Amino acid sequence: MQAKLRDLLITNILAIVLGIVASGLMLLFLGKNPVSAYSVLITSVVRDSYTFADIFVKATPLMFTALAFAFTYKANLYNIGAQGQFYIGAVIAAASSLWLQNILPGGLVLMITLLLTMVGGGLWGAFIGFVKARYNSNEFLVSMMSTYVALAIMNYLLRTFLIETKAEYPQTDALAASVWLPRIIPGTRLHIGFVLAVLACVGVWVLLYKTPLGYRIRAVGYNAGAAEMSGINAKKLYILAFFISGALAGAAGFTEVNGVQHMLVQGFNPDLGAAGIGIAILANGNPIGIIFAAILFGALKVGGTIMGQMSGIPSSIIELMQGFVMVFVILSYFVRTWLENNREKRKLQKAVAK
Amino acid sequence: MATAFFELRGISKYFAKVIANQDVSFSIQRGEVLALLGENGAGKSTIMKILYGLYKADEGKLLKDGREIKIDSPKEAMELGISMIQQHFSLVPAHTVTDNIILGNVHGIIDHKLFREEIKRLAELYGFELNPDDFIRDLAVGVQQKVEILKALYQKTNLLIMDEPTAVLTPQEAENLMGFVRDFTAQGNSVIFITHKLKEVMSVADRIIVMRAGRVFGDIKRAETNELELSKLMIGRDLNWVTKEDRQESIDQEVRLEIQQVTLQEKTGVPALKDISLTLHKGEILGIAGVSGNGQQELCEIVCGAILPTKGKILLDGEDITERKIRARIDLGIGYVPADRSSDGMIMDMSIAENMLLKSSYAKKWQKRGFIDKQKLNQYTWQEIQDYSIKAPSPETIARGLSGGNQQKVVLAREVDNGEKVIVFDQPTRGLDLGAVNHVHQVILQERAKGKSVLLVSTELAEIFALSDRIAILYKGEIQGVFNSAELTTEKIGLLMAGFREREVKSDAG
Amino acid sequence: MINLLSRTIMMGTPLLFGALAEVIAERTGMMVTAIEGIFLMGAWAGFVGGYLSGSLIVGFLSAMLAGLLVAGLYGWICIYLKQHQVVTGVAINLLVAGLCSFLYRVIFGVPITPLTVSPLATIPIPLLSEIPLLGPILFNQTILTYIIYFLAPLSYFMLYKTSMGLTIRSAGENPEAVDVAGINVLTVRFLTVLLAGVMGGVAGAFYSIGFLGMFTTNIIGGRGWIAFAICFLGNWNPKGAVIGTLAFGFAEAIAIYMQSIGNSALFPNELFIALPYIMTIVLTISRKSFNVPAKLGVPYLKEN
Repeated sequence: MQAKLRDLLITNILAIVLGIVASGLMLLFLGKNPVSAYSVLITSVVRDSYTFADIFVKATPLMFTALAFAFTYKANLYNIGAQGQFYIGAVIAAASSLWLQNILPGGLVLMITLLLTMVGGGLWGAFIGFVKARYNSNEFLVSMMSTYVALAIMNYLLRTFLIETKAEYPQTDALAASVWLPRIIPGTRLHIGFVLAVLACVGVWVLLYKTPLGYRIRAVGYNAGAAEMSGINAKKLYILAFFISGALAGAAGFTEVNGVQHMLVQGFNPDLGAAGIGIAILANGNPIGIIFAAILFGALKVGGTIMGQMSGIPSSIIELMQGFVMVFVILSYFVRTWLENNREKRKLQKAVAK
Repeated sequence: MATAFFELRGISKYFAKVIANQDVSFSIQRGEVLALLGENGAGKSTIMKILYGLYKADEGKLLKDGREIKIDSPKEAMELGISMIQQHFSLVPAHTVTDNIILGNVHGIIDHKLFREEIKRLAELYGFELNPDDFIRDLAVGVQQKVEILKALYQKTNLLIMDEPTAVLTPQEAENLMGFVRDFTAQGNSVIFITHKLKEVMSVADRIIVMRAGRVFGDIKRAETNELELSKLMIGRDLNWVTKEDRQESIDQEVRLEIQQVTLQEKTGVPALKDISLTLHKGEILGIAGVSGNGQQELCEIVCGAILPTKGKILLDGEDITERKIRARIDLGIGYVPADRSSDGMIMDMSIAENMLLKSSYAKKWQKRGFIDKQKLNQYTWQEIQDYSIKAPSPETIARGLSGGNQQKVVLAREVDNGEKVIVFDQPTRGLDLGAVNHVHQVILQERAKGKSVLLVSTELAEIFALSDRIAILYKGEIQGVFNSAELTTEKIGLLMAGFREREVKSDAG
Repeated sequence: MINLLSRTIMMGTPLLFGALAEVIAERTGMMVTAIEGIFLMGAWAGFVGGYLSGSLIVGFLSAMLAGLLVAGLYGWICIYLKQHQVVTGVAINLLVAGLCSFLYRVIFGVPITPLTVSPLATIPIPLLSEIPLLGPILFNQTILTYIIYFLAPLSYFMLYKTSMGLTIRSAGENPEAVDVAGINVLTVRFLTVLLAGVMGGVAGAFYSIGFLGMFTTNIIGGRGWIAFAICFLGNWNPKGAVIGTLAFGFAEAIAIYMQSIGNSALFPNELFIALPYIMTIVLTISRKSFNVPAKLGVPYLKEN
């Protein structure tokens, strides 16, 4: 057990380091010195509290989309449509805030908006679960395709009903400050959504590992046949799991619109879904691990942007780093299994030799 | 003594978690039938897979006609004239007989017509009734085996290895297979067959290799041994076998479960079960005999509520429960130990405690303020671990790490508690070693003594005879008859299992 | 109308390349979930090769090589290291997206106006293109379309009439049977994935140098996934893939057509862009009795 935990930590850290080193090597193509680029990055990230806090701002929606993937993953389902559920949530957040901000007090609007985004994202997700349960559709495909549909809906609404009053760009009017999520550290962009995200991680962990419902979801995920034989209705759980998953991704729309952008802009945050999957994999699907993995990805994002501003390195370096880290993390899964098997085999051979 | 056809010398094989083979040496002569005898998990299949090139040995060497050879892949084994029929057939269900036989033996564009004729001729030569165009998925298991044998013959095999070939056959089919083995070896070919059945060994083998825990414990000529000696070598200790005398003869006449004229129509239109009527009394064990795949699993699932019958009724203590589904039937006290525990009965990646919770996750007894009462569950699990002597360090142990026997005990422990009134056992001892088999049998008898009703499905006739009060025979979804166990002989039950009706059996036997 | 149908065939061409690639690989049990990345890498390499050399042939060859490399990485991780196909695909797609836009920047810097090459020209086939109706639709296309006219029946013949096809189909249904027959399952799977990489690379290059004449990072925009979907909906059969491709090509042709006419303010032409995706969802729901390869997505493990 000890050795297993040690392997887990070492291989994961190694994967992250290798991912960063590999993308550093890519900088050589640009004629940049990766060592100095990275040192600039690290010093500037920790230099001022605004930048440092931004890491957690970036981590907030990532936690939600990572949870969205991890939650269905536990039921052995693949929700790779968190991006679409996020867009649906964002559209609802903007629409609901703009509509209610002049009618109701800010705090109440925020609560209603959060609820609506979660229900909206949840229903968008539950549709995938429903067609999986009812028609045995491939949820991987449907969730993937639903993202493009969500994107089209968002683009349409931004061009028509939700477009700003000037009607110049495909974006909404700015939200009134009363419906902004409160900041937790003055002088930074860090808002209360971060706390919500951490709470969501803890909540999902409790739900999955401490309640009968979570137990059933995991049971269905490991072995749907045995669960069905034990009187557990797997199909109902498919729909429920996708609802919860969609609701989590929808909540990311809320924190982004009400917490960061304070408006809805066409095509913003296009890689939240994919990065969320990467985080969930890095965390091995563990909701608590997601908190840390999301912060790491947030740091990569902030660092990558700074590198772009400081030394003319393109911002695609972020995707590159994320991609490399993910590939190395997957390789680390293999290395761990291999180490484990070898250890067992050696133990046996030693026992025989005695 | 002539140079051996094939010889294995000092072979060892380590898997990640077990020693599969340790220093195994033996040989086979031309024209010889060699039996590889041992319990499940003794390493018989592994050593043969090494000879067939599917596994690579960690130590030791292989010889043919006295010369050292290397076999790194089945291709190389086939070139040396070795074929192996796996226990779980390696046929592609979605393809035809022809496609399966020529897989790996053709190059380029396939001339289907030519191969069809060739295979037809070969089948006729050996007296197999086979249509080369049939799809494997439509064939009975016995016929599938013939396809496997034909595949080997097509490759011009000199050494045929068969892994547990009779497990899926009726006694009569098994007899035919043995006939084939004798003819085949009479032509100078050799056969190795892997088995755990002593009777088969004594009827066909020339020489016997006994394996236990990955090692060879005996290399004996059939003529120089007997069943008793072999069983001792195989098990390594004496066992107290359950016998008829172990149980009281009193049968409570009160009816517990009634299955009334139940029919189950499959989507294809073929009935999986046809007009089945059975009565199960309190404190009774009703054995269901039959070759596997004749509706046993469907019968079990109808009783536990996993599927609902197309026609007919099911009564429990006189109450109609036909429309109740699994969850309701669990609450009514019907327990079910499914045949395939890894796919239907357990969650291998969860702990023992979590597996105990599997059927009662809705029940209030395991909850405290909406959360799982882990302490209570662990205490209960630990008690069960001790009661059933499950070899596990704690309730948190992951089920996958347990041996097959211990996994089965976990399911058994859970279902015995769940099934307060009726327990359905489907092949409860398949794949277990003899010690575990004995334990399972004792548990079944204990539950009977408590007044529970037991439905015992098994393809092992010995098991059916040892435990059942009454025996029903299932063939193609129909009940061939229900008998008191004393009325039946092996021969009679064999004919019933092969589809003969009671009247025909009497006239045949008479 | 003729224009629309001709467009259908044209836009269907890369999809069919991808779908056939996917059919062949999935028949061995390998979902190529990296298909989106393979398309993108193909589009990128096709453009880079074509632009730098000035030759579209070099462009397509580099696209094939790039597709091969991405597929090789995917196959190595999924087949030999036995990692999860969906998860690995997602990771590789993300990596490729980063790689393409980063390397584009490395090679071309930040150009003021988008760099372009002149895309593949249509080659009217003498006589055949003169046939009324069918001629302009079928025989006034690019060379890639003519190649796919051969590849589609060829892949059907290969899968169902040759020993190679038998091995491929068996590997996805029961890999043990293939192994026991002395054929290396992993090699079979790896080779088909590599083939899928080459074909997917060509498909990707169609978008950059076969059609648009330029490269943007969102040039593929889910079309790899559409090819993936066509394979599912076409029942893992080249015939089905052809029918599915025609349907999707038509949807895409309509989308392009609608964009050109629908300019009234509330006209939802975004939804027409999403038509292929909506169609996938609808078809996935309505499609019954799938003929899924039994071991699709399951790594072949042999204890050792």
